[in-house]
Amino acid sequence: MGEAIVITSGKGGVGKTTTTANLGTALALQGKKVCLIDTDIGLRNLDVILGLENRIIYDLVDVLEGRCKVHQALVKDKRFDDMLYLLPAAQTVDKNAINPEQMKELVTELKKDYDFVIIDCPAGIEQGYKNAVAGADRAIVVTTPEISAVRDADRIIGLLELEENIEPPKLIINRIRQHLMKAGEALDINEITTHLSIDLLGIVADDESVISSSNRGEPVVMDPANRAAMGYRNIARRLLGESVPLMTMDKQSTGVFSKIKAIFAK
Amino acid sequence: MTKFLKNLVYVRGTKEGLVLQFDDQCAYVDLLSELKAKVSDPALDGSAEVQLHLGYRYCTEAQYKEIVATIQNNSHLRVSKMRSEVISVEESNKRIQERQSETYVGIVRSGQVVKAEGDLVVVGDVNPNGKVVAGGNIYVLGRLKGIAHAGANGNREAVIAASWLEATHLMIDDLIETMTDELTVLSEQPEMECAYLHSNGQNIVIDRLQELRFIRPQISTFKGGS
Repeated sequence: MGEAIVITSGKGGVGKTTTTANLGTALALQGKKVCLIDTDIGLRNLDVILGLENRIIYDLVDVLEGRCKVHQALVKDKRFDDMLYLLPAAQTVDKNAINPEQMKELVTELKKDYDFVIIDCPAGIEQGYKNAVAGADRAIVVTTPEISAVRDADRIIGLLELEENIEPPKLIINRIRQHLMKAGEALDINEITTHLSIDLLGIVADDESVISSSNRGEPVVMDPANRAAMGYRNIARRLLGESVPLMTMDKQSTGVFSKIKAIFAK
Repeated sequence: MTKFLKNLVYVRGTKEGLVLQFDDQCAYVDLLSELKAKVSDPALDGSAEVQLHLGYRYCTEAQYKEIVATIQNNSHLRVSKMRSEVISVEESNKRIQERQSETYVGIVRSGQVVKAEGDLVVVGDVNPNGKVVAGGNIYVLGRLKGIAHAGANGNREAVIAASWLEATHLMIDDLIETMTDELTVLSEQPEMECAYLHSNGQNIVIDRLQELRFIRPQISTFKGGS
């Protein structure tokens, strides 16, 4: 029996879908069988970011309405040795096409076959959110160091805490720009965690290659040297129960020359 | 005099003025008819304020109004005050509730509202867009960064105290104060402060928490001391 994790944020554009794609990929790379569910019906994106758009035959609504079997709708990502699957959202209907009970049933069914079922939640707190959290055992709240994103995260955490079947949510701070944080122009990590007062699961640096790799349909986490990828990989390891120290956000140059310089700088 | 007066209504003069003391065992109709006879007495022709002492008789709102009307229609007396030794269970419960202090342990997050009939103690933060409402006082052991409404049932003496007072809106009774930059009462240091209604009845002001014992001494329920 696996566990179901919902990735949510309240505010749009903070990186829920990117986080879902990258965490799923990172877990699959760690040898876990992962199923990603896109619940953003009508505005699906997860398939695009994973580069699986062309292989969709059936979708979530088809499954829930009995037009196909679950395994027919699941899109296998061939890059990861049968470890990563996607259940895409429907694009032609809206979020009211499904209800929380149906989702709960489906997620329970999927948990039997997968180690992790990761649910990508749409922005907002309406029907789409309710559908997404219905079957989840755990929740991850994604926010960015912006006051608006943190406010919305606070609201979402309040709602998640009311859900009886979900463990206390964990936080990911995404798109951290070190130079802004250092200059005091953006909220710093401490400020965000004390304000929201939930456990921090990890931090992810803002990196341009996240955008370019998403556009290519390859999650950034596949590049082990990338800073953002390291953040996602650390989060995946923490989800698996490892204790990984929080990465420092300072840009470290790894060249020999800078190391020598560092010695003299002391 | 055909009718024997049972003396169900005593007229007494006290230091505080004229007092009408009612018998609390007789029938209400008898009381009312005797009251009418007494106040219609031409000896009581001067205009004065009277207090009513109802004793252990429970009067409904309608009965009370009838008594007042009987007095004021038949004489120049005006009823200033009513004293009764009994209240209904309902009212008693309400009073107990209003004096009670409720405790909320946790964070009041955006969009959440925590309400209490009496005083409210929040152990935790009140985040922006979170709201705490109380019939009495509000005490926040944490950061108050949202909205607080004290004295919501019309208690203008209510105060809002917080270890960190950085609210966006403060309300006492029906007064609202938005905590903007131009507000002069806003202090530099939000630590350990309390908000209360100024004696002019129009502004909410903020002061150091240490001043509360002079501003609202009645909040303290401890009498004396060692």
